[in-house]
Amino acid sequence: MALPDDRRTGTMAEMGEYMHQAALRLENLTKRYGALLAVDHLNLEVPPGQIFSLLGPNGAGKTTTLEMTEGLRPPDEGHVYLGDVDVIRHPAVARLRFGVQLQTSAFFELLTVRETLELFGNLYPNALDVSVLITRMGLDEKAAARVEALSGGQRQRLALGVALVNDPEVVFLDEPSAGLDPQARRNLWDVILGLKAEGRTVVLTTHYMDEAEVLSDGLAIMDHGRVLDAGTPRELIARHLPGAMIEVDPAVGIGSEATGIPGVTSIERREEATVLVTERLEEALVGLVAWAGRERRELRGLRTRSATLEDVFLKLTGRSLRE
Amino acid sequence: MKGIWTLFSALIRVTVRNRQGLFWTLFFPVVLMVVFSFLGNSTSHINIALVEPRGTESPVVTILQKSPGFALHPMSRARALAEVRAGQMDAALFVPKSATTAPTTLTLRYNNANIIAGQETVGSVTAFIAQINVALSGRPPAYRVAAAPMARSRASTYLDFLLPGVLALMVMQNSLFGIGSGLTRWKEKGILRRFRVTPLKPVEFLGATVLNYIAVGLATSAIIIGLATALLHATVVLPLLALLLVLLLGMACFLAIGFIVAGVAKTQEATIPIVNLISFPMMFLSGIFFPVSSLPKTLAHIVHYFPLTYVAGALRGLMSGQLTLAAPAMRTDLLGMVAWVAIAGFVAARVWRWE
Repeated sequence: MALPDDRRTGTMAEMGEYMHQAALRLENLTKRYGALLAVDHLNLEVPPGQIFSLLGPNGAGKTTTLEMTEGLRPPDEGHVYLGDVDVIRHPAVARLRFGVQLQTSAFFELLTVRETLELFGNLYPNALDVSVLITRMGLDEKAAARVEALSGGQRQRLALGVALVNDPEVVFLDEPSAGLDPQARRNLWDVILGLKAEGRTVVLTTHYMDEAEVLSDGLAIMDHGRVLDAGTPRELIARHLPGAMIEVDPAVGIGSEATGIPGVTSIERREEATVLVTERLEEALVGLVAWAGRERRELRGLRTRSATLEDVFLKLTGRSLRE
Repeated sequence: MKGIWTLFSALIRVTVRNRQGLFWTLFFPVVLMVVFSFLGNSTSHINIALVEPRGTESPVVTILQKSPGFALHPMSRARALAEVRAGQMDAALFVPKSATTAPTTLTLRYNNANIIAGQETVGSVTAFIAQINVALSGRPPAYRVAAAPMARSRASTYLDFLLPGVLALMVMQNSLFGIGSGLTRWKEKGILRRFRVTPLKPVEFLGATVLNYIAVGLATSAIIIGLATALLHATVVLPLLALLLVLLLGMACFLAIGFIVAGVAKTQEATIPIVNLISFPMMFLSGIFFPVSSLPKTLAHIVHYFPLTYVAGALRGLMSGQLTLAAPAMRTDLLGMVAWVAIAGFVAARVWRWE
């Protein structure tokens, strides 16, 4: 990615200042729909060159947040800064510097892939070479095909190509992998990691925990229009579920009485397993076995594992991401 | 500004590739004109059932046969009377056997059900026979009539009347459906949102869309006029600049109304009944197929203010050669259109939603 000259030739002090400047900063961002606070005084900072994910159940306010950030929806309060550009005040300047893949990206069905990329490229003063983009998105064979003839995955790649056509510093992807098969999702991950390797900042929303865990340098978990917590996946796990998880089959029937087991901090009864959270795994295991002996229960399906992002998400929102 | 042309050229490409859309834009105007031009043609000459004895070779019959105003159909006496009674023949001409000695009485039987048509037939045949008499006498006629049509008044066929109406109708459908329905579809599918996150200004997007429909409207007008004059022999006057102005004004009316529809409706499906509700009454009442003056007085008074009435009226005034842009009657139509553009444009700006 081409960086403006001042970034390369600045003094060390200026460079230092630049390093501290976030690629994207949301301040007190707020949106009301009648009495509903869709986004509630939200603050976020995304450092340059990172892949940042917004996670949240449906209706958490992710898309509204993204739309305000892209200048599609005016916020009731707050500011959005893309580098040093005030996006709300100068949307036209900001649009030159970011690229967007919307949740439902529709293009003219009767234009070809190449024509579509050329059309959008011509709207910017500086655009990437269309042929290079086509190859990069793996659309060489479909370059002359009309949009109406593309598969879901090919459309998604075209939408991503259009998002990159202006060589953006920041790329917004709203659920980029929705509706893709596993293979297409892996390919998409490679493309997104490639964007990071080029020095671009990527902000995405997703429904997939594994995706967020694999891709994200930083992430924010949202619900009810607020950021519940933000950080790297490791930080979040360490902060909220630092210990280990013990899982047993739900049929074992461990109830709330098991909170008395030494070492067990909390118990969650999920559909697929009963999960005991502990920060002292050995002690909790010994206690669990002793409890099973007293209660004459067989510990079917017993296994231990470390906490995942999904566990943190459930703990923070009380909801599964797919709900 | 560059953005407008970029998008405009892409939209033109989309429009030209949309074969089905083009077909329907042209289908109705063309079918209407073709059907009515055939209906019109059947009255252009007089059909005469010819009844003459076998072997007769009357010179009168030979001359009549050669004249383009008459079509002779030899048949039996009984059938000739039946066809005249049924209205299939305009008249039956009976030529007696002794047609070689003068003066010979030619009997003409005609149907009096339609008095005007009947008198016209009798008049035409009588005048024609009189001409033959003069020619046969070998003497020059004492008087001759030099008939010349008044300037700007011609015998006009129904097709000449219909053509401006069909143009007005196409202008309405193209603009109203294009913006009302087409733009709503793009809005619904998210195409508008996609462009809103590019540097293209919203005004440029709408400008390119409007230009696209204007280009389609003008191209379609040219095709319809070309077809009607070249193939169907419509005789109309074509003051091109004045026509262009009226067509553009007419499109502006219906584009603005289309924007109201696109602003109010949330889905494309919802636009269809609205657009039909707007266009159907005008299609039948606004003087497309018959003059507004033939409507009941109260109704005509209301219909007079419909936008399509103004468009059709102005186009017909120009194409019949009866009015120029400066004529007082034309001023009413032009002002009416301007008023519609202003009012509908104002409302459209208030109800328009990007989402």
